[in-house]
Formats: sequence, C-alpha cells, structure tokens
Amino acid sequence: MEKLKRLQENSLFLLPSVILTLVLGIYPLIWMLRYMFYDYVGYGEALFVGLDNFSRLFRDEQFWASVGNTFVFAGGKLLLTIPLSLLLAVLLNGKLRGRNLLRGIYFMPTVISTAVISVVFYNIFNSYNGMINQLLMKYHLIGQPIDWLGPKHAMLTVIIVAVWGAVGNYMLLFLAGLQSIPQDLYESAAIDGAHAGQRFWHITIPMLGPVMQMIIMLAIIASLKGYESIMVITEGGPIGKTEVMYLYLYKLLFPVSTGSPVTQQFGYGSAVGFATAIIVGAITAGYYFLSKRMNKVF
Amino acid sequence: MNQPSMAEKKPALQAAKWITRPIMWLFLLITVLLTLFPILMTILGSLKTGAEMMSGGDLLPKEWQFRNYMEAWQQTNFARFTWNSVFLSVISTVGTLLVAAMAAYVVDRRDFPGKTLYVGVQASTMFISVGAIVLRPQFDLMVKLNLNSSLWGVILILISAHSSTFFILQGFYKSIPRELDEAAMVDGSGFIRTFFKIILPLLTPGLGVAGLFAFRHAWNEYILPLVFTMTSPHLQTLTVGLANLRYGSSAAMQIHLMMAGACLSILPMLVVYILANKTFIQVTAGSVKG
Repeated sequence: MEKLKRLQENSLFLLPSVILTLVLGIYPLIWMLRYMFYDYVGYGEALFVGLDNFSRLFRDEQFWASVGNTFVFAGGKLLLTIPLSLLLAVLLNGKLRGRNLLRGIYFMPTVISTAVISVVFYNIFNSYNGMINQLLMKYHLIGQPIDWLGPKHAMLTVIIVAVWGAVGNYMLLFLAGLQSIPQDLYESAAIDGAHAGQRFWHITIPMLGPVMQMIIMLAIIASLKGYESIMVITEGGPIGKTEVMYLYLYKLLFPVSTGSPVTQQFGYGSAVGFATAIIVGAITAGYYFLSKRMNKVF
Repeated sequence: MNQPSMAEKKPALQAAKWITRPIMWLFLLITVLLTLFPILMTILGSLKTGAEMMSGGDLLPKEWQFRNYMEAWQQTNFARFTWNSVFLSVISTVGTLLVAAMAAYVVDRRDFPGKTLYVGVQASTMFISVGAIVLRPQFDLMVKLNLNSSLWGVILILISAHSSTFFILQGFYKSIPRELDEAAMVDGSGFIRTFFKIILPLLTPGLGVAGLFAFRHAWNEYILPLVFTMTSPHLQTLTVGLANLRYGSSAAMQIHLMMAGACLSILPMLVVYILANKTFIQVTAGSVKG
C-alpha cells in the first residue's frame, strides 16, 4: 500500500519531465532516424529509398563544401579564442586592480543575444556605410572601404564575431581552473628563480591539464555547432563562402526563411542531420582520446 | 619564516616589471574597448538620425534622438515584439523551473526503477547535436496540436529542454537536509504539500540561479521562434523582429531604428546581468569544476 503510494507520487512528479522529453526530445530523433531512409519533401507520400539519401550525400558537393567551411570557421574561432581567453584568465588571476570589473566586462557578451548583436555587427562591417570602414577611413588608416562581407573577407568577419561572443565565457572557465592550482607552487618556483614564462609553461599548463582538456572539448563542440550569427550576418554567402554544415541543414528544412537555392527536403535533410551529428561526434571523440593520450605522455 | 620578496632580491626583475606592466595594461585596455565597441555603437547609434548613420560622422550623435525609440516602438511593432519576448521568457522560465524542480526532487530523494536511465537520458540530451532537424517534427507536431497559432508551442519546446536546469537544481537539493522532509511527513504533511510548502521555499536560491540561465536562454533564443512565427508576424519576439528588419527592403534607411530595437533587446539583459553578475560568473565557472 505504502509502496503503491510512493510509486504514484514519484510518477506524478516525473511525468511532466518524462512526457516532454519523450515527445519533444526523443521523438524528433526517431523521426530523423526514420525519414533519412525516405524520399520525403514534406507533403504527399514518403517513399522508402533505402540508402539513396546517403549515396547522394557523398556526391553532394554543396554539403562537403559546407563541411570544409565548418572546419575553417571552427578552427579559426578556436585558434583565436583559446589563447586569448587563456591569456586574459592568467592576467586576471593575478592581483590586479579592478579585476572584478574587468571580468564583468569580458563576460558581458555572453548575456547578449547572438542574433541581435549579429544584426549590429552586420551594420558595423557593412562595406558601404558600415561603422568600421567609416572609422578607418576617417583616420586615414585605409583609403578604400574594405569589403568585410565580400567573398574574400566574409569568413574572417564571421569568425571575429564568433570570437567576440566566446572569449569571455572561456576566460571564465579557465579562471576557474587556474584558481584550483595551489598558490604555493608558484611561490616556491619564484623562490627558485623561475620567471613568469617558465612558471606558465611548467606549472600553469600541466596543472591546468584536465580542466583545459574539458574546456577545449566544450569549445570544439560549440564552434562546430554555431550557425546563428552566420545566418544573420551573411546567410551563408556570398557564393556559399560562409555556409557551415548546420546552416546548410537548416536551409534544407526551412528554405523559405533565407534566400537559398535549395528546396525543402525532409528525407535528405534527415540524412544530412544524421551525418552532421556523426561528424561532430567523431571529432569530439577523436579529440577526447587524443588528449587523454597526450596527458599520459606528459 | 619571512622570505624576502622577489623584487628585493632581483633588481633586474623589477626593471622588467616596468616594461611588462604597461604592455599588460595596454593589452587589457584594447581588449576591453573591443569588447565594449559593438555595445557602445548600438547605444550611440540608437540615438543618431538615419542620415547620420549613413554618412558616418562622429562617434557621438550630433543631437540625441530619443524619439528613435518612440518610432521603433510605434512604427516597427517593437511594442508587440517586446511583449512577446517577455511573455515567452517569463512563462517558459517558470515552466522549466517547475518541471525540473519536481523531477530533480524525486531523483534526489527517492529510488525508483529506471532512475539511472532517466538521468542518463537527461545528460545525453545536452550532448547530441543534430541541429535544426528536430525543429521540423516539433513544428509539425505543434501544428497537429493546434499550438502553432500562439507562442505556447515555442514555450513547450523551451520547457522540454530542461536538462541543464535539472542538473543545477539537483546540486541545490543536496544542501537541503533530508531530515526536514522526514520531519514534515511525520507531522502528517503529505508528499505534495511537503514539496510545495517546505522544500520549494528552501530551494529559492537554486531557483534564482537556474532561473537566470533559463531566462537568458529564452530571451536570446532566435531560431526556434523564427521558425514558428514565419507566417505569423504578430507572434515574433524581439530577436526575430529585429533580424527581419535587417532583411527588409528599407534596411539601409532604418539602421538607427535597428539600433534602437537592438537596445530594447540588449538593455534588459544587461540590467539583469549588472544586478546578478556574481551569480552568472560563479555558476559558469562552476560548470568545469564539476
């Protein structure tokens, strides 16, 4: 009797969470796993086509170009974000006047909507009346306006925007890691005459090891997944130069929203969605095992 | 034992400090300016005239155009957008907190079959990333349930992503002693009553922290409300309405209004951040300490 009552109470409290997770979390995954074997455009009959979508995927140059763009975007973002945020964290970990204020400022971008600030960045980098070009021209740093959103620089521009939004977050994560390093290690090294650079390479980096491994993993996943700001700033253009794979996937499912040459294809889109998840998963797992092995070597 | 400080011991090092310190401060100054630049440009731009934005001009507005806000509010539907954003964010935050708090309570205090499975599923939903694909079946489902003609469909989807709230709250439950529940039960208070009257009030700090993050997520969400409001502009939130201005045909002439709209979206979050920045910073930092 008592047991039954407890079971009822448990179910009552878990039910909203379980139902929402099943219906809006798990069911869409099953939907994808089913329709990736179908030819389905959203209306009419869904036709079972076996692995056709996947053989199309391997021949789809637009998809592989978007995978390449994803790597360039994610790689560029990581190469700028990680060193910069680590450097800021090290500086702000010391005894510094106003360091709480500085932390607060660097972290500020993370509370601002990516879409909204991307609209602002679009206007900042706009080539003809954008604020950056206006400023640079005014102080005669450039003669001609730079085409920030043109085919040559668009990728760099969206990377800069992504770095702007990310540095504060990773700075904070690094700071948390730094604060767990015992201070007396630094003190005894200083007494032994180690200068700041030596202390950084021989104490900070090795001691930060496991935390850094985790932070970089989070950063890799986030940089592969991000496409919101690209969608607002360049819509993947010009001529597909900034189209990352999650944006390509989005356009297959919701082509009406942005000017895109593709038509809606739920079956093929499911296959692309599955493939992108596998790619992200493989990179994450690859990094995880590689960094574990590196840890053992050092 | 009293160690002599580094500076006393090595004059060379002290000299080096005279060089490295200014470089460090210069670096910090530049990065601070770069961080604040787009935010300042938004605020200053929102107070300029359209013509001033087009032609360049000075950093500061010639005359402070506070009526840009009036214009954005009235002409471009920002009143509607703001109300939608507030409605969506408040309801989904409360819903997320309630659903996650109830689930986390049972998981923390009781044993039941499938508990490990449940926690495992919650954890894995945070790591699987199939992108926009889930929006399609979610959207079709909401159409079937007739929830696509209001923001309730979006709200339900936002609440369904409650796993991070669940884990934050689970941590807070550990600090509420179990004896309290037991004592209440002995006094004849039922399970539900104990939860709502005794436990939930004690969970207030945790709810505040988790609520802050849920609110930030909902307020800043873009793609989900975009997909759901493509054919119903009156349901658009600030993020969607603003991004649409950028695609509009008269976008170039409306930069000052765009900036005013961006301010309307950014400023409430900045105020929340300034009031609660310790919480944001501590919880974000805590996520790697495990």
